[in-house]
Amino acid sequence: MDILTLKNVSKIYGELKALDNINLKVEKGEWLAIMGPSGSGKTTMMNIIGCMDKPSLGEVILDGTDISKVSQKDLTIIRRDKIGLVFQQFHLVNYLTALENVMMSQYYHSMPDEEEAMEALEAVGLKDRAKHLPNQLSGGEQQRVCIARALINHPALLLADEPTGNLDEKNEYVVMDIFEKLHNAGSTIIVVTHDPEVGDEAERMVTLEHGRIAGEEKKKRQRPVIKDGDDKFKGFV
Amino acid sequence: MKKRSMYWRMVTASLARRRSRMITALLAIAMGATILSGLVTIYYDIPRQLGKEFRSYGANMIVIPTDSEHKITDEQFEEIKAGIPDGKLVGLAPYIYQNAKINEQPYIVAGTDLEGARKNSPYWLIHGEWPSQPRQVLLGNEIAKAIDLKPGEKFTLSTPKNKNESTQTDFIVAGTVTTGGKEEELIFMSLEDIKSIIGDKGLDVVEASVEAEQAELSQIVENLKQKDAALTPQMVKRVTASQDVVLTKLQSLVWIVTVIVLGIMMICVSTTMMAVVTERRKEIGLKKALGASNESVVSDFLGEGMMLGFAGGLLGSGMGYFFALQVGMSVFARRIHFLPAMIPVTVIVSIIITMIACSIPVSKTVDIEPALVLRGE
Amino acid sequence: MFLRMIWGALFRQKSKMLMIAFTIALGVSLSTSMLNTMLGVGDKVNQELKAYGANINVVPKEASFLDDIYGVSDQEEKGQNYLNEDELGNIKTIFWAFNIVDFTPYFYAKVKVNDDSKDTRLVGTWFAHHMELQTGEILDTGMIKLKSWWEIEGEWVNDDDDDMIMAGSVFAARNNLKVGDSVELSTPNLKKTVKIKGIFNSGSDEDQYIYSSLKLAQDLEGKKNVVNRIEVSALTTPDNELARRAAQNPLSLTLKEQEVWYCTAYVSSICYQIQEVITDSVAKPIRQVAESEGDILNKTTLLMVLITILSLAGSALGISNLVTAGVMERRMEIGLQKAVGASNTKVIFTILTEIVITGIIGGFVGYFAGIGFTQIIGYRVFGSAIPPAPMVIPIVAVLVFLVTILGSIPAIRYLVNLNPTEVLHGR
Repeated sequence: MDILTLKNVSKIYGELKALDNINLKVEKGEWLAIMGPSGSGKTTMMNIIGCMDKPSLGEVILDGTDISKVSQKDLTIIRRDKIGLVFQQFHLVNYLTALENVMMSQYYHSMPDEEEAMEALEAVGLKDRAKHLPNQLSGGEQQRVCIARALINHPALLLADEPTGNLDEKNEYVVMDIFEKLHNAGSTIIVVTHDPEVGDEAERMVTLEHGRIAGEEKKKRQRPVIKDGDDKFKGFV
Repeated sequence: MKKRSMYWRMVTASLARRRSRMITALLAIAMGATILSGLVTIYYDIPRQLGKEFRSYGANMIVIPTDSEHKITDEQFEEIKAGIPDGKLVGLAPYIYQNAKINEQPYIVAGTDLEGARKNSPYWLIHGEWPSQPRQVLLGNEIAKAIDLKPGEKFTLSTPKNKNESTQTDFIVAGTVTTGGKEEELIFMSLEDIKSIIGDKGLDVVEASVEAEQAELSQIVENLKQKDAALTPQMVKRVTASQDVVLTKLQSLVWIVTVIVLGIMMICVSTTMMAVVTERRKEIGLKKALGASNESVVSDFLGEGMMLGFAGGLLGSGMGYFFALQVGMSVFARRIHFLPAMIPVTVIVSIIITMIACSIPVSKTVDIEPALVLRGE
Repeated sequence: MFLRMIWGALFRQKSKMLMIAFTIALGVSLSTSMLNTMLGVGDKVNQELKAYGANINVVPKEASFLDDIYGVSDQEEKGQNYLNEDELGNIKTIFWAFNIVDFTPYFYAKVKVNDDSKDTRLVGTWFAHHMELQTGEILDTGMIKLKSWWEIEGEWVNDDDDDMIMAGSVFAARNNLKVGDSVELSTPNLKKTVKIKGIFNSGSDEDQYIYSSLKLAQDLEGKKNVVNRIEVSALTTPDNELARRAAQNPLSLTLKEQEVWYCTAYVSSICYQIQEVITDSVAKPIRQVAESEGDILNKTTLLMVLITILSLAGSALGISNLVTAGVMERRMEIGLQKAVGASNTKVIFTILTEIVITGIIGGFVGYFAGIGFTQIIGYRVFGSAIPPAPMVIPIVAVLVFLVTILGSIPAIRYLVNLNPTEVLHGR
């Protein structure tokens, strides 16, 4: 079953075609990496998939809904219900604790639930850091709060934009490990990156160039699959 | 957990944990509120405060007998006293006039309640002292010059007794009085002294200084007239009419100054709030990316604005009262009236202004694509 | 390059700088209008206080004016002293001529009205006298202006009416007279029938008298070119220690003090100057008016000073807040400048220059807006312009300079401690 389908999607800014006739299908539970150099249209694609922008032409069907036709307001609601976002810059609200940042996402979605938020933080290994403010957390920890926040509303699709772009190698490994576990638990993940090492972790890799899909690669997993702890994420799929 | 409690948790966290930025905003609001409550309090209190100052112009009501052949009796004097509301009376001085001679030169003696006269006429310039003992007088400066008497010196006053006889009485000059007016040619002594010489014949005139505006004073005058037709109370128009003119001007001066200062302060508060909110564009973008509707983003900020406005308004109304108090003390040397209504008014105005100031930049930012905000840097 | 950076900051991020400039303009306009009003309010209130009438009384030397006011003296007129009517215009030629607002002479006549056995006081005076002085100045002065609180039934008498009088309300009531009635005035010299043109209520002893033109009163007494008394209303400066000492004896002052005293509009120095131009006269301040004026004037000015201080504090806070916010907002850009090797001093210097330029532009606009506000206050309250005081310009300039610089201090301290990498990594 396809969770996301892009049909002949183009995005045109004046003269510039940021996306040019893209066709893409993502299955439920799939881990996809969208790769490409700067200016290839990665960001535009991520904005469209993330329901933050609409295509100029073509259809985008997310979990059965064509989002290219809905109003800005409905788009917000779809984004809220279907998408979990992880940013390169983390974008945590700096006056709220880790726990409150996660709860804020619940708040805008439906009902804040402190226990569930705590579980999400536990899943990313930050239970004991829940009461800390973002500036008291390391970069890796902040990114894990971000992931917990993205998961909390059980999104149909987890969309991560350069999730390791601001992290050192050790933290990069921790974050990728979480994605791994999420994948094993059945989450659909799309990672937008220009880092081949991050892209290599995914099941499938799509390369963009000048707004078009230049290549696609399916691969076997290279790293050994770690099984323990996966069940922690089961609740968020 | 309830939805509302998360809302307040977010709002209070924003206020408490972004302390320095919020203090900046709070200070601006409190300053505006201070000015609002301080100036309005002063504005309302000015007639009362200055009203007292205007009493330095002296008596603003005089009472004379209706029939010029008669005098005012002691009972009537009590009536007049009773006719003036308690806290309003600044001074009350009855006068008995009597022709007299010093060194065969004719002069006029004014017997009065010296304490009352002193309160009535703060503008009298006294050289020497006010009489404190019996047989002491306050001498008009012109007389003092004419017969060369200085404070402490003795003189003999002769008053007519019968057709051709006269009484001789010795007096000591306690002080001389300079006013630039008729008082300089009078000899002032206590009522007791003059009665002991010429006997009790009744009062010629009663002068009163009442802390009241023209309308209020004319009410007092009317009441007195009604009560006793033998008395003719009059307002001293020069004093009362002019006081109204000047007071109205001064009050309208403070009013327009208040309006201008307030208008400008409101804009200042707004720009500060705008700057504080504009700084947080990213946060707005993030909240939108997380699926917050425009309304809930706006309401987050309005909640903060409301609390800031509340705290600033409360702080400001306190500081404003303190300011008004200082003004009252240093300008008028008396306490200013506390207007309890100013607290809710100040708080509500602060809340409204802060919320308006917040909502302008928020509603401008809220329509922006979250992607634009989150990308960028 | 420095200039290009400044230029870029000022014009490419227009909205932020515009906001700072706007706030500065508001603050400056507030300070300007308050300072101007504060400095101008004394004069204006002084004018208003003229509603209380004359504050200087001029009488001949050795004259008694008790009788004038009280009418209870049994003194007979013997060799009464007078002032010379011709010299009246001289009052407008003294050093403080400009401060003389109004004046009017009085001439007292004793007349019998109809067949009354008692004498009644007739006061000859100016009502709205038109004068052309030797200096070429034109002056209209008299009772109408001086006795603003009188209530008139009927009309004021004209200065050239010689068969019209005004009667005091008490006098009219006692004799049962109404506006339009004719009465016969008689003195040992003359008998004359006149019409009552108006009845006035002054709320004082004057209500027992009748008033006429100066000429009529002089004719009745058979006198020419003389007056008993002059009332002068002058704008004065509240007394201080110097004025009090001078009032006692002008000769006790040192030459320098004397000069200061003479050239300040104290009521005593104006009196002194009037005595210089009116032969054999004594000018006395009417303390009831002069003293109270000083009181109220001082209080009002003090009140305005305090309000001004409060609004200055308010605008200073507003400006510094915004400057702080404005600088903080740009930490990213400043982090970058530091990252590419700009020294702290250079960064601070750049920022300060930007802010000061913004301040100058905002201040310039604000100053003129403030003058506008001052005029609104002037016209709205006093019905006349408040002249802008030049000294406000340097005060406001220094204020804006200090406030903007002080307002930048917290931001600058923050920026100096700023680690460029932190900012650029979005923390």
